[in-house]
Amino acid sequence: MTLLATNWPHVWFVTLLGFALVLVLLVVLIYVLKLFGRIMQPRVKTEKPQEVHASVGAPRKETDEHITLTGQATAAIAMALHLYYNGVHDEEPTHITIKKIERKYSPWNAKIMGMNNLHRN
Amino acid sequence: MWNDILEFFRGMGFMQMGADFLSGGWQQLAMLCISFFLLYLAIKKQYEPLLLLPIAFGMLLTNLPGANMFHQELWSAFLDPSSPAYHSYGAILKEGGLLDVLYIGVKAGVYPCLIFIGVGAMTDFGPLIANPKSLLLGAAAQIGIFITFLCANAMGFTEAEAGSIGIIGGADGPTSIFLTSKLAPHLLGPIAIAAYSYMALVPVIQPPIMRLLTTKEERAIKMKQLRAVSKTEKIIFPIMVTTIVALILPDAAPLIGCLMLGNLMKECGVVDRLSKTAQNELMNIVVIFLGLSVGATATGASFLNWQTLMILAMGIIAFGLGSGGGVLLAKLMNLFSKEKINPLIGSAGVSAVPMAARVSQQVGQEENPGNFLLMHAMGPNVAGVIGSAVAAGILLTMLG
Repeated sequence: MTLLATNWPHVWFVTLLGFALVLVLLVVLIYVLKLFGRIMQPRVKTEKPQEVHASVGAPRKETDEHITLTGQATAAIAMALHLYYNGVHDEEPTHITIKKIERKYSPWNAKIMGMNNLHRN
Repeated sequence: MWNDILEFFRGMGFMQMGADFLSGGWQQLAMLCISFFLLYLAIKKQYEPLLLLPIAFGMLLTNLPGANMFHQELWSAFLDPSSPAYHSYGAILKEGGLLDVLYIGVKAGVYPCLIFIGVGAMTDFGPLIANPKSLLLGAAAQIGIFITFLCANAMGFTEAEAGSIGIIGGADGPTSIFLTSKLAPHLLGPIAIAAYSYMALVPVIQPPIMRLLTTKEERAIKMKQLRAVSKTEKIIFPIMVTTIVALILPDAAPLIGCLMLGNLMKECGVVDRLSKTAQNELMNIVVIFLGLSVGATATGASFLNWQTLMILAMGIIAFGLGSGGGVLLAKLMNLFSKEKINPLIGSAGVSAVPMAARVSQQVGQEENPGNFLLMHAMGPNVAGVIGSAVAAGILLTMLG
């Protein structure tokens, strides 16, 4: 009985239009994100390799080129930068420094107040 | 004095349950047993314990005879236009118990949105920004919502109830609660429990569907590493998505807006304190309130009926269809695109962050131990969160 009471045209309308709207909205987002990615992609100024037939004294042109790095290349560059900036290198310092520790006087660390302060004759 | 003692005994929950055993006491007893079982699942089996535990305990509290912590009749009057307490929060505050007061946050749609702020603050949209095609997989996985909506109508539920049942397929607890509290508040208990139970069962439900719909070769496909995403992109993304989605679909603005607010707080890096609060304190407090008050709606009369069984059955259908929809679309995309997609990441298009992505990773590694799909699957996974919030907004616009 409830089955007959259901407004089937409206139910189909909601189902089809609803799903279509989800798809359309997310497809719009895909295009926006792609455009956004294209604008935001890092641009690096690189020099084009000189062509063989180019004259020796000709001025070199600077051009914008998109550089897409693979994961391995990114990891290798990151590791190299890490080693460079953190001073992690193979040459070890040749001298040993023992840091001098100075403590301010306090009755808490005074030897004279120690429990096992031995009597000296 | 004897009268006082007699009154004391009469006031005991045991006596009340025994006195009304046939007229409803058995339902309370059954609900107490169900709450014990859910507590067992939460504590011993660790099925979504952060939510299942407060939900089960709310269920326990609401079904204790004589405790008067939750009053279903007050909320029925709240929804009845002929009642003097129609849409009167004052009446709830005056006559309600502790759980009634906490339930106001669900009714007003506040808790799901606050949880979404926390979810946003914990989500990295980087994989989605790096591979925007993931959004298609997130959209395809929402097919479960709409097919289940159709099936629920065929089974005799009203359109509003059917929409609330269908949203279980989005595998997103806060979204399910948000939509159900608006469209069919009387079904909140069973729907919330179905949604969270199936989310907890993602590692059990999804792998057979994924294996059934894919070949061994497809499962072993290795995907190209995602490009790096800059901080600026991550900052602009939430602002842009909120603006676009809210302008196209204003009813989705509360959920998407809160999700993106949380994410913006995380990515901008200038409000670390707010971001940490959203991820931890705020999220945890709201989860306690939400769990308790949702559990409180599961009273014997509203839970122990054929509708609940049908909701549980249709919930799993919705979930399965959503997972299958994502996998099938990924296969379809492989027919047209040069760069092959591993179809296993399609099943992560149902939200259930990050569990669904982890399942894609695990099933992928069974075929090829050197295959790392987790970050690829996170794209459709977070797209699923956006997709289910959009679907909820659409259903709210059309059925609300």
